[in-house]
Amino acid sequence: MKPSFLKKYGLHAILLPAALLWIGPLLWILVTSVKTRVEVFDASSGLFPQNFIWDNYPAAMSVAPFGTYMMNSFLVTGGILVCQIVTISLAAYAFARLTFPFKNLIFSLFLLQIMFPIYAIFLTNFLTVRELGLMNSLPAMIVPFVASGYGTFMLRQAFRQVPTELSDAAKLDGCGHLSTLWHVYLPLVRPTLIAFAIISIVTHWNDYMWPLLVTNSESVRTLPIGLGLLAKSDSGADWTRLMAATVIVISPLLLLFVIFQRRFVDSFMHAGLK
Amino acid sequence: MTSTKLPISRRHFLQVGAGAITAAGMLGTTPLFASGTDVVKLQFMYPVGVSGDINRIVTGMINNFNASHEKVQVEPIYAGSYDNTEQKVMTSLGVGETPATWLPINSALQTFLGMDALADVTAMAKADDIYQDFLPGFLSICESEEKLYGLPFQCSTPVLYYNKDLFAKAGINKAPDTWTELMETAKALTIRNGADVSQWGLTFGGGWHDWIFESFVRQNALVPWQKDKVMFDAPEAIDALEFWVKMVKEGVMPSASTWQGSANDFMAGRTAMLYHSTGSLANLRKSSPFEVGVAFMPKNKTYGATIGGGPILMAKNQPDAHLQASWTFARWMTNTQNQTHWCKETGYIAARKSSWEGEELKAFANEVPAAKVALDQAAYAGAFLQVPGYHKVREYLKSALDRTLAGEIDPTSALKDATKQSNREIERLMRRRA
Amino acid sequence: MFVLKNFLMRFPFQNATKESLVAFAMLLPSLIFLTAFTYWPILRSLYFSFHDVMLGSDKIFFLGWENYERVLTDSLFWKSFRNTAFYTLITIPLAIVCALLLAVALDTKIRGVALYRSAFFYPVMIPSVAAGMVWVFLYAPGYGPINGMMDALGLPKLEWLYSSEWALPAIMVMSIWKYSGYFMLILLAALQLVPRDLYEAAKLDGVSTWHQLVHITVPLISPTIYFVVIIGILHSYQIFDYVFVMTQGGPADSTNVLTLYIYQNAFQYQDIGFASTVANMLLVFIGILIALIAATLGRRVHYLGR
Repeated sequence: MKPSFLKKYGLHAILLPAALLWIGPLLWILVTSVKTRVEVFDASSGLFPQNFIWDNYPAAMSVAPFGTYMMNSFLVTGGILVCQIVTISLAAYAFARLTFPFKNLIFSLFLLQIMFPIYAIFLTNFLTVRELGLMNSLPAMIVPFVASGYGTFMLRQAFRQVPTELSDAAKLDGCGHLSTLWHVYLPLVRPTLIAFAIISIVTHWNDYMWPLLVTNSESVRTLPIGLGLLAKSDSGADWTRLMAATVIVISPLLLLFVIFQRRFVDSFMHAGLK
Repeated sequence: MTSTKLPISRRHFLQVGAGAITAAGMLGTTPLFASGTDVVKLQFMYPVGVSGDINRIVTGMINNFNASHEKVQVEPIYAGSYDNTEQKVMTSLGVGETPATWLPINSALQTFLGMDALADVTAMAKADDIYQDFLPGFLSICESEEKLYGLPFQCSTPVLYYNKDLFAKAGINKAPDTWTELMETAKALTIRNGADVSQWGLTFGGGWHDWIFESFVRQNALVPWQKDKVMFDAPEAIDALEFWVKMVKEGVMPSASTWQGSANDFMAGRTAMLYHSTGSLANLRKSSPFEVGVAFMPKNKTYGATIGGGPILMAKNQPDAHLQASWTFARWMTNTQNQTHWCKETGYIAARKSSWEGEELKAFANEVPAAKVALDQAAYAGAFLQVPGYHKVREYLKSALDRTLAGEIDPTSALKDATKQSNREIERLMRRRA
Repeated sequence: MFVLKNFLMRFPFQNATKESLVAFAMLLPSLIFLTAFTYWPILRSLYFSFHDVMLGSDKIFFLGWENYERVLTDSLFWKSFRNTAFYTLITIPLAIVCALLLAVALDTKIRGVALYRSAFFYPVMIPSVAAGMVWVFLYAPGYGPINGMMDALGLPKLEWLYSSEWALPAIMVMSIWKYSGYFMLILLAALQLVPRDLYEAAKLDGVSTWHQLVHITVPLISPTIYFVVIIGILHSYQIFDYVFVMTQGGPADSTNVLTLYIYQNAFQYQDIGFASTVANMLLVFIGILIALIAATLGRRVHYLGR
């Protein structure tokens, strides 16, 4: 065996088993979603179903208007993300690159948002949203999340990793703060922005309790509420349909991830920065 | 909902500051009902307790109701699990925007009464056939001090499920009927390989095992609570827990389980008998690769069962016309034909005698004998833990049961502790109310 | 402390430079929303903690310190506190080390890198309700695949979620599965900012892969590692969904954690005052913890910038 062989495949030897272990639950979700209800618990029927039963998918979709729910999920997560990107890039730039009084104190105040348990603020936010006249509307699910201490922190750390020489150069070229942020910082931290975007999308895509509390009509509700119809049951889970619904709910996310993770490879920094 | 905004300004809100709940409560005592021309608009908040299809059935029923009632329009609002529904209703109560009707678990009756949220519908019920036609056990879940606050809509009890294949394999041909038989049957059905148990004789649905425990206490001829105290330390209750401990010590029953996990265990043949809700019947029947038997929970001094599921309650804080409309709606949802239909579609037990006397349910009971078992057992059933602060009391009781079964503490001390803690909590709430 | 130092040394009010004004303008959008949806509720929660406030009722009574006394003497509070601390101390370091190794390994151009990344990241996307249910099945003592694997490896089978000893560790294993990919993603993004020529130089000097990791990679992405540690701790204090779906805190409160405890008190027991008190205590505790980490780990963070 040549040493290069080991180098080439050694990593796979570790990663492959780990990946398989990680993928196990997904495999189980997929397989269960095409089984009959009896097969799920029949040990003698083996891991894979006799026939692939696709009926679970339409059956899962039929418990709620999933089309509307999916549209609303897109609007809500998209709305949150767009607002967040604006608020966090401005704030993170200020924290990373500007000097101003009470900087540390204000920064800790931003972190308060992540530190305080969410169930302790539900009640007050419910009142506020109602007071703003937003009950039972899409904005009710967006406004509490427009500012993100989390995103600000994450982006601040990334900005601080950017060598100061770059922004100094931009300043010499006559760029103001906003255009330095736009032309220098944001492009450089694109991987972090994408990572944040993915995390933000995933978090709000799957949010259940808050949307349930502030919405009443099916026309404004989101996917996890549909999932809740199958999962929050007192009778033992409706396994096959729950798993089918799970596949439906995560597919757009998975697709998004597969597309965007490419952006990590050969990113700007790798090639360009010396 | 948009038509139901309170006339309260941001400035006012901020002035009231931290007491905003108070503010909303004071300003918003007129609940928010669209006062359109003649049509009364009502909201109905409900949980989905059994499976996703129930959502479709409920909305279908409400569409029918709306189509057949010109003057009343009901908006169905799915509100999650029982817990979620309770939270949503209470949050709305806090701001004076209570829905007109909702469907909680029956244990919450005293909680809502404590909040002065429920309309007394005794008079309307007396003018109707309610007291004659509803099964008394089921009707009792909406009653407190002889007053009626709602109509039973979806009722369930625990029952004993058993795996007929495993019974046949062990040469047993009938379900146990007494605690002694339960123990013997469980012993005969337990299979171990050395220290490993590959098949349990019996499993209780964890997470709701306090509900099942109350059934055992009822089988000792005691209801372990009154509307202002619990008696978990009564000899009947201690005896029931000692029986559980004995089954764990004999190694025929696991000392703990989870609600979902125990149902899975049964369907996978890991346990031969299972105490679970009647609401699980459809799921267990459809998903088990063997024939599922259903039987009464075995008796000790008597048969006994605890009712889960809930009634449709009506808000006190609404104008007469709306209350009348709410009653019309609740009455319609629980009429003979709808209860029949509901029972067949979902597995919940129809609460009206006339439903069971009808041809449709008679035929259904012949086809699915299990449904009949649940009905017959209902004759011995009563409400579940209707005390103030029932959530916390349940926690205390569950913790006591878990610790006892894990062998950390003896039954008597555990139940004495739980009783003391629970009664202290109930007293605290009663004091607060007064 | 920082503030005081800043204040004394710089007299900020007199030195309100143009830069500060720009900074505050940039912070404004965030601050408006944080004030409405974070600070206001926290202030109210502080107020509630000194009162008897009931969900769904409009009566509020002043209690003084009574809620705090109740919390401190409540054995279930301390139990959920211990459970939460145990969970955090074990899960977060393990998940982060796991994530760091994965991130470094997947920052290369090996074949199938996209598949690997997806394989480790997808658990983050599964809604927690569904994930919790799946793991209930995986952990089933009799027929669940995990016990099957334990058996194949010659390890003893366990009762997992049915046992008060193993239920919490079982949830911790699941969390590592769910969160490693999350941390991996953030670290992976940070690795992109490490100049490649550093590695090439190291390679020419014959530095081993391990030394590259410890002496080049880790220091250079230390700001992000620092971020991940803090976020990890904050997140682990918010675990709720799995516990709620899988065990509801049982058996015998062995999986009761602080957020579940807060949720129960606020929404099940309607005791908003008490729930707020627990939330405030949690906030103080996390605050101290974060300050400690900032004072130790934070000082060792290496920034490429100023």
